[in-house]
Amino acid sequence: MTETSARAQPTARTRKPVNLNALLVEGRALVALVVIIAVFAVLSDNYLRPENLIIMTRHVAMNAILAIGMLLVILNGGIDLSVGSTVGLTGVIAGYLLKGYEMPFTALIAYPPVWVVIIVSLAIGSLVGLINGLLVSRLKIAPFIATLGMLYVARGIALLITDGETFTRLSGDPQLGNTGFLTVLASQPLGIPFPIWVMVVFALAFSLVLTRTAFGRWLYATGGNSRAAELSGVPVKKVQTWVYVASGFCAGAVGLLLTADLPAATPQGGSLSELNAIAAVVIGGAALSGGRGTVRGTIIGAFVIGFLVDGLVIIGVSTFWQQVIKGAVIIIAVGIDQVQQMLTARSAIKKAQVKTPLKTPEAVGAGA
Amino acid sequence: MLRALPKVAVVATALVIGLAGCGSSSSDAGSGSSSDGGEGGAGGGTISIISVDQSNPYWKAEVATAESEAKKLGYKTTAADHKNDPSTQNELIDTAISKKVAAIILDPAGADESVGAVKKATDAGIPVLLVNAEISEQGIAKSQIVSNNAQGATVGAQEWVKSVGDAGGEYVELLGAPTDNNATVRSDGYGQIISQFPNLVMVQQETANWDRAEGKSKMETMLSAHPDIIGVVAGNDEMALGAIQALKDAGKLEQVKVLGFDGNQDAVDAVSDGEMVATVLQPIVEGTTEAVKQADEFLKTGKTGASSEKQAIDCVLITQDNAASLDNFVLSE
Repeated sequence: MTETSARAQPTARTRKPVNLNALLVEGRALVALVVIIAVFAVLSDNYLRPENLIIMTRHVAMNAILAIGMLLVILNGGIDLSVGSTVGLTGVIAGYLLKGYEMPFTALIAYPPVWVVIIVSLAIGSLVGLINGLLVSRLKIAPFIATLGMLYVARGIALLITDGETFTRLSGDPQLGNTGFLTVLASQPLGIPFPIWVMVVFALAFSLVLTRTAFGRWLYATGGNSRAAELSGVPVKKVQTWVYVASGFCAGAVGLLLTADLPAATPQGGSLSELNAIAAVVIGGAALSGGRGTVRGTIIGAFVIGFLVDGLVIIGVSTFWQQVIKGAVIIIAVGIDQVQQMLTARSAIKKAQVKTPLKTPEAVGAGA
Repeated sequence: MLRALPKVAVVATALVIGLAGCGSSSSDAGSGSSSDGGEGGAGGGTISIISVDQSNPYWKAEVATAESEAKKLGYKTTAADHKNDPSTQNELIDTAISKKVAAIILDPAGADESVGAVKKATDAGIPVLLVNAEISEQGIAKSQIVSNNAQGATVGAQEWVKSVGDAGGEYVELLGAPTDNNATVRSDGYGQIISQFPNLVMVQQETANWDRAEGKSKMETMLSAHPDIIGVVAGNDEMALGAIQALKDAGKLEQVKVLGFDGNQDAVDAVSDGEMVATVLQPIVEGTTEAVKQADEFLKTGKTGASSEKQAIDCVLITQDNAASLDNFVLSE
């Protein structure tokens, strides 16, 4: 992985536009997406209708937002299994605040305004992420274990808050001043559903963070070789903590969007969505070992999964086959990626061997 | 009495030692040790309630009913969920056996898969009474009290057919979890009635795993494929409610009639509001109450008092006419 991060870093710093390997990796996901769209467009007349494209993109958006957070964690060489539960927890918190919560030690019921509800829910999501981050960076608990534990804890808390019930009174009451949750989060500015806008904003913001800030460079560096990064002065622990906070924040946003979409806050909301997010990230060309991956690739990965799954439903493939096909696509996508990695590594060695005796810049460019 | 007394003593000891905290219980933890049952009195002992998933209102009602009924009869209770996973169910049964509970009220995870678990507990001398779903063998459990899903699906489908009218058209179906026997029974029940009307054509069937969010997203996609459907039949209320939201978003709820199943409060409200054509109330409160009563009877007399092991309780159709009189799975009047 050292060589990939070494390659990623100068790209970010010097803004050299051509990164052939990254293009190939993303190109592969893009080719998969084009093939999927083409196949389903042939099989169903309804697939490419604008309304259907919007619905499918809305389904994609939820997973894409989670996947962006997941990408940061994976770039760091970690994994966040708790995002699905965090989605459920933040949704339930929003539902709980909107239906009015009983203040402890008093007979009062508080109805906070919608912006407070949104901020509190996002803060809870980030807090879950912060705990994950501290467990991983300070206590040195393996990310898989720490977030697996959090998967159960967050889901359990969501169940405790709701006592197993589903909150459906989310529209608020004008007299209580807490309306607007659904009218904003389930709205369609310019005919495009709100979650899609959120996905676009998150994608732009996070790709700027990754390519234009010190944090982004640190993240690629820690993921590539944590020890080397630490020796060169990167605040490794801080970076490691913050990626989980970002992931929790993204999960919080999805929790709100999902709750507004249903509209109902169910404690089992978001179950298993961590797995879809991980799949989107790896299809998008990220390496689970860290240091390699882009927001663009991840978004494409999310589209591949979403358009595939919805396409299979539209043409009426049996549920059992849907799962087999989805799994096969993930394995094939990542399998091709591995082959590509091996080939690149081999050509890099060849280049290095050629480069040492000759020391001419032409020889370097020729191999790529 | 002779059978029950030594158990009471053992259970009491176990409770004192502190084994009572039930690790996998997702209801209030430690309900086993903190409840106020008559210690050492008549009846007594702990009844272990093993349900499917208390985050679903239906099973929540099942557990709540069993708990309150058992407490009324002087038992302590522990409650846990197996989430339809036979191996989790197996572990919960093991725990119950090692805690030497007086009886087990079980909502089994699969008809074939659960036979072994029930047999294990029975061999250990603990009576098992099944509620909601059945197992594929008789003579092991003390009683199997199920709601008559086939009858429920029939009455639901009849009402739905009435509402879609004589015009006919295309409809879609949302199925429950594919491994769940009830999903098949209900789907077959719907099919038997609806297939008698050749002008009603099912154009697609999708699994939404009993889940509201999945029901909504599958419905949205199916609407893209079949924009002109006139109806949706769903295997349970959660999926039906998801479908209703998808139809609302698409502005098509007027033209599409939705049928649910279970009698969740949310669904009953939707029926009152005219958003859902009908739902079918499963007599879960009645069945669970009966199961606890029979458990008590068995512990005291060695007989459940029921005429046969398998007992099916009929479901009740909920339409706009009687929706108002239903409150959390209990039909008043």
